[in-house]
Amino acid sequence: MSRYQVDKTMRQVVLDQQVAAAFRAGPDAFLDGRDLTDEERAALIQLDHRTLYRLGAHPFLLLGFMMATSTGDRAELAAGYSGSVAALGYPDFET
Amino acid sequence: MAKLVEIIGITHNPFLPGMIAAGGDDPAIAQAGKDYARMRQKMAEAKPDVLVVVASDHLNQWFMDNMPAFSIGKAARAQGPVAHEIHTFRLQPYATDVDVDLAKGLLKEGFREGVDFAYSDEFTIDHAFTVPLSFVRPEMDLPIVPIWTNVIAPPVPPAERFFAVGKALRRVIEGLPTDKRVGVLSSGHLAVEVGGPKRPTYSSDVEFDRRMMDLIAAGEAETVVREATWERLLQAGNVAAGFLNYVLLLGLADGRAPSETNLLFPQKTAAVNLMAWHLHEGGAR
Repeated sequence: MSRYQVDKTMRQVVLDQQVAAAFRAGPDAFLDGRDLTDEERAALIQLDHRTLYRLGAHPFLLLGFMMATSTGDRAELAAGYSGSVAALGYPDFET
Repeated sequence: MAKLVEIIGITHNPFLPGMIAAGGDDPAIAQAGKDYARMRQKMAEAKPDVLVVVASDHLNQWFMDNMPAFSIGKAARAQGPVAHEIHTFRLQPYATDVDVDLAKGLLKEGFREGVDFAYSDEFTIDHAFTVPLSFVRPEMDLPIVPIWTNVIAPPVPPAERFFAVGKALRRVIEGLPTDKRVGVLSSGHLAVEVGGPKRPTYSSDVEFDRRMMDLIAAGEAETVVREATWERLLQAGNVAAGFLNYVLLLGLADGRAPSETNLLFPQKTAAVNLMAWHLHEGGAR
């Protein structure tokens, strides 16, 4: 588990629209060289926020990451997000 | 000696400026606009020379590669919010001078009073600073000293520490060899959840909000400190630790009851609150 590296990656995407564009354009290449588990890497590439949430990604960053990488309706994403993680409770997000 | 003339604590909900500006039919939002306009007036009446602004950072300026619990900004200028916040929340930019002498004084005397503040000569203040500043001092004409707290990246200091740092800050301010009038503005929030199971479209814990504001209004600072544990805050909302900035204010006010408080529940966002100690009026000492 490399929760810190997941948070670091999400933060870079949130802070800079150009970085977000680079991530969207080629997430595999973007993540190369980062100390991530296979599960974390796959979840980031697939924008699988439920897995990232379950693994303890920082929830504040995670929502921002999903917004920054979304190509669809952000309002719809925001509306559906909370319900989609409701069954997962509150995983520890301390790094 | 520096004189503490006003202490104000309000929320930094980044949606609130837009909601108030838009008007609408939510009486709580209308009241929030009136309350925060009054806080602007109260701060102006206190005639501060400088504002010490105690607020947090949302992993914009600080990160877990080097996370300070409490930190002072001492660059010549402070500006914000960060670019993605302007884009996401449609916030207005805020920029003003930093009172570098006062910042250094707080830093050096803080060491003597038991607070090892970190410091920074290069930073951007995020919406936790710019939202309350835009409400209380939109003129951008007063120098500030930004003080950051870590309330977002656990482990965060316990409530006891926030209270103690507030008390130390008062001793430091009142001991500085200057005749400056110092206003303190702090932003935090009550129960809020972002990125968790509870939707951030209403208070995530009304009971917490009412209980804490009742205790604060009654001057029950010790009970607030005892009850504002990390576990209780997390139960109230996954980012409700922002409440701890208000605990720091309680320490700064020596545990006394505020001159006034308010608690509002808007229809579509987290609770809006205020606490203010009008010290220049002789309020709460």
